[in-house]
Amino acid sequence: MTARGVLKTLSPLFACIGLLCVWQIASLRLDTESFPTALEAIKAIPSILGDKGSLLNILDSIRRMAIGLVLAVMFSIPLGLLMGRIKAVAAFFNPLMMIIYPVPKAALMPIIMLWMGVGDVSKILVIFLGVSLPIIYHAFQGSKAVEEKMLWSGAAMGMSAPMRMLRIVLPAALPEILTGCRTGLVLALITMITSEMIARQSGAGNILFNSLDMAQYDTVFAMILIIGAMGIVFDAAFEKLRLSLVRWSQPRDDMPLSFT
Amino acid sequence: MQVVSLRSDAHAESEPLSGRKPASAMIEIDHVSQRFQTSGKQSHLALSDINLTIDDGAFVSILGPSGCGKSTLLYIVGGFVQPTDGVAKVKGKAITGPGPDRGPVFQEFALFPWKNVLGNVMYGLRQQGVKKAEAEARGRKLLEMVGLKGYENFYPKELSGGMKQRVAIARTLAYDPAVLLMDEPFGALDAHTRTRLQNDLLDIWDRQRKTVLFVTHSVEEAVYLSDKVIVMSRSPGSIKEIVDIDLPRPRKRADLLLDARFQKYIVDIEKMIDDGKDHL
Repeated sequence: MTARGVLKTLSPLFACIGLLCVWQIASLRLDTESFPTALEAIKAIPSILGDKGSLLNILDSIRRMAIGLVLAVMFSIPLGLLMGRIKAVAAFFNPLMMIIYPVPKAALMPIIMLWMGVGDVSKILVIFLGVSLPIIYHAFQGSKAVEEKMLWSGAAMGMSAPMRMLRIVLPAALPEILTGCRTGLVLALITMITSEMIARQSGAGNILFNSLDMAQYDTVFAMILIIGAMGIVFDAAFEKLRLSLVRWSQPRDDMPLSFT
Repeated sequence: MQVVSLRSDAHAESEPLSGRKPASAMIEIDHVSQRFQTSGKQSHLALSDINLTIDDGAFVSILGPSGCGKSTLLYIVGGFVQPTDGVAKVKGKAITGPGPDRGPVFQEFALFPWKNVLGNVMYGLRQQGVKKAEAEARGRKLLEMVGLKGYENFYPKELSGGMKQRVAIARTLAYDPAVLLMDEPFGALDAHTRTRLQNDLLDIWDRQRKTVLFVTHSVEEAVYLSDKVIVMSRSPGSIKEIVDIDLPRPRKRADLLLDARFQKYIVDIEKMIDDGKDHL
């Protein structure tokens, strides 16, 4: 690897170190109790991850996030694809989406809690709602943009309409769909934490706010670091998967926004 | 060989007029009209009462200015567009939709970008349930025929326009359609590539003798390739004239360019188009 290549690979690491340095200096200068130094926050991480209760809470969060995300993907991709190809489906769902889109899904949480309690169902539902719209939107756009003549070529080969949907529209729209899924993944993390802040029963968001209540500021910042790291790892892993799936559509010299 | 006959009476059975080699009708177009709704209550008559018979194994070009409905006519034969009036038939059966007996080749190539070259060519066969090994063998043979041996694993984005169109032609030939429907297939290519593909298409046609319906706006291309040239005019789109191209085959471009008959066909057809209010 060339020196430049090494630099390019390590640049996210440098960015992290730089950010931590700025944090460290700012914290030392301000010297307030509610703003621990970066080192103090990092030192608190092992005790959180080493604690069985906390670890189970975090794993619980990830489980809910995964379920909400998978359900949203399974629902949103077919709906978006159908909207892109069938005018009546788009005419029905488009106004509905336009109304739902600007509503912060977490704002629905109190009502959902009222109806479904503070357990898994409410939280998974909020994650599902938060994730679905961008995936539907991107699947819709991707499906709408599929070249008509590509579908005609398939029809001439004797492919039925459902087959064309599955074997032509889906793969052709895949780059766009996966862009939506990437946004969805980050939104899943955000709505997961938000839902746990509102329904304070378990999870990573709950640990964060409990330690805030107890003025354990190093734990608060350590949790922020853990959640941030989760986001980075999930996103990087997804980018790897995405690039391997749509290599055929990527320009060679494209630099995607990612840590991979 | 009687290739195309313009019929005044659509209900009359099409019969070969001169009996040298009695050719059977491959495509029949019976009083076909196509009306498109434009904005508001306006509508536009894209095709007006088209009657046409194209015989089996003929190479027929449709020539005309943009907006004369020549592509629409091709799409109707493909089954991609339903005519507002009239009926189009292939092998005597009314066309109700696309089918593997009519293979399209588009100006836009319309390749499947997620499949490599071989995958694209095998696609139709795989959809029709042909076993993988068999489809692959046939795909490789076709790629060799269109001059793309060695490019099996390339993706469409890695190919030039000419190569993409070769893949598209191979992909369509793979499922062995009786009719090739070519919609300005070389329109997006540079002059050099265009000439090479024209020659290669003639080679393939000489070997397979499929019925070809070829839409173009190049007079020279139409005369060079075809047995018959259908000249269309617009507003509304209708057949203006049908010209038999009586030039010997196999045709060599270098010879034809010096051939007075070839030149005369081109000049005559250009005059036909200029005579009207249409401009290419």
